[in-house]
Amino acid sequence: MNKRTHLLRGVPGLLLVLGAGFVMASSNNLKAALGMGAAVIAALVLSSIVISALHKIIPQRGKLPCYVLIITGFVSLICMLMEAYFPEIANSLGVHLAALSVSAVIYRDADEIAGKSGELYAIETAVVTGLFFTVIMAVCALIREFFGSGAFFGNKLAFMKDYTVGTLAGAFGGYLVLAIVLAVIQKFSKNKSYEEEE
Amino acid sequence: MKLNEFFRALTICLAVVLVFGAAIYGLGLHTDKIISDREAALSAGKEELYSKENAALSTLTSVNEFINKIYKLEDGGYEVVSATTNTYSGGELAISVTVDAEGKISGITVESYPDTPAFNIFEKDPNYIETYKGKDSALADVGVVSGSTISSTAFKTLVADSLEALTSNGLIGAGVKSDEQIFEELIPEKAHGFAKLSPITAEGNITLGWKAGNDTGFALVIKNGDAGYLALVNAMGVCKVYDNTGADVTAGQSTVCDEAKAYAAKSQKSYDDAHQKKLEKLMEGASDISFIKADTFANIVSAATFKVGEESYNAFHLRPNGYDIMDVYVVIDASGAIAKLDVKTMIFEEEYYFDAASTNLTTAEQRSAYKNSFAGLTVDTFTGEDMIIAKATMSTKAVNQAVKDAFEAFETLGGGEVNE
Repeated sequence: MNKRTHLLRGVPGLLLVLGAGFVMASSNNLKAALGMGAAVIAALVLSSIVISALHKIIPQRGKLPCYVLIITGFVSLICMLMEAYFPEIANSLGVHLAALSVSAVIYRDADEIAGKSGELYAIETAVVTGLFFTVIMAVCALIREFFGSGAFFGNKLAFMKDYTVGTLAGAFGGYLVLAIVLAVIQKFSKNKSYEEEE
Repeated sequence: MKLNEFFRALTICLAVVLVFGAAIYGLGLHTDKIISDREAALSAGKEELYSKENAALSTLTSVNEFINKIYKLEDGGYEVVSATTNTYSGGELAISVTVDAEGKISGITVESYPDTPAFNIFEKDPNYIETYKGKDSALADVGVVSGSTISSTAFKTLVADSLEALTSNGLIGAGVKSDEQIFEELIPEKAHGFAKLSPITAEGNITLGWKAGNDTGFALVIKNGDAGYLALVNAMGVCKVYDNTGADVTAGQSTVCDEAKAYAAKSQKSYDDAHQKKLEKLMEGASDISFIKADTFANIVSAATFKVGEESYNAFHLRPNGYDIMDVYVVIDASGAIAKLDVKTMIFEEEYYFDAASTNLTTAEQRSAYKNSFAGLTVDTFTGEDMIIAKATMSTKAVNQAVKDAFEAFETLGGGEVNE
């Protein structure tokens, strides 16, 4: 399996369905989705840099607590910055922003990539992972905000007033839209992945 | 896990905790203040729209450096918090301007203002803030306070900046200024030397006008057809005409210029004779003294050329406004360097916080040394910064302005003409 296939297989919220809870919670509007995306990218990149730099001196069985502390530290700093400078987004993300510190999305990257490779590859993986995660969330948010709330980027669209599907804005709608997006991506990416693996 | 691996892991964990603990503490000092300020504003029914500290993150883009905060109020109005140090004392004047939903000033609160009673705006005019109430961004009929001109100008500018921050970001509509107000506000921009303006009586096509208290000229609003123009006439009889956009329309408004010059000619005090006497005293052997018209609207009341032997000089008599009107004489040689500088009244001792012990202008020798220190300076070497003297800042700043004006006039003398 080459590096590219490895990256694509690891896209969270996509093939491994990691971070589905975050996508569901953060995709009811585009602003929140982009805010969560930025937070994930920042947490992934920063923790990947530190973990890939330290992984050789951390004993194998001490990795879990060390990684969790590093990720939690960065997520705490990101939460503080977002609460200070982007209070609207921080309020809309609520506890899910702080819950990033125990997110499998970030921990998987830290353990599988940053904990076993050099800084540059770790950063590259973190950026790709974060961007894909953000794109998936943004697509879901766009669909949910447009059809569920009849709005775009927080602005109500008058022509959608009588055509909204309220369910899409709720938790069930979040999973439903994510499932549809996943199905579409699977349809177009499955054959290619097999070809590359063969 | 072996014991040494356990301790290594423990040490790394502790180090991570310490590093992040310090980072979180440090960042918290900064973010806690932002969050607590915002919460305090929210609890007071205000929504923060702009904060100078986080200007890059604000959606409001047209906000100048003096504006610290902009809040939206529950009643649809706005509050703007701003500060400046352009006061008489140089201390910080901080104010909070509240504007209603229609863009009219509903209140002004002074948060800090350090000027001592002798120069304090509100000691001089206790009702000054009231003159702003109900005004829109045009601030029509709002003036400055006599005796506290510098600080009240800073106050008025700060209020205007606050309202401009709201109008330029589309939060309130801009007020409409009358032509008279536009012309009055153009005067400091086009004729910075016209100090202590006092209104004149209208006559003929002159609908409004001011005489400069330092005798540097006249500013007249003159009607020509349906349009009004601002005509400036300096002490040497040079005229410039501006329309209500501030554009120089002198070439096309000769009748306006003629009327302005005629008005000025009968009211303008001439300083040429006094200037000549001063020059003869100041520059031994001065001859061929001719008075010229300098095309400048600075502090100059008389300009001349003369010779000492074979050397040619330009001389300027200026009347800048320091603590009071001062008479400053600047002689510039042909190379553009100051040959001589004199000041008739350097220190208004009875009115200053004059502290002989801390001022090096106490004795005649010290004052002479101060004046001589200008000799040899050119427009390129004169900065004025080291010429400001503590406890006599207003006077020494006024002398600096006079020197700048003299250099400016010297450079523009290519357009000057000899009096007939």
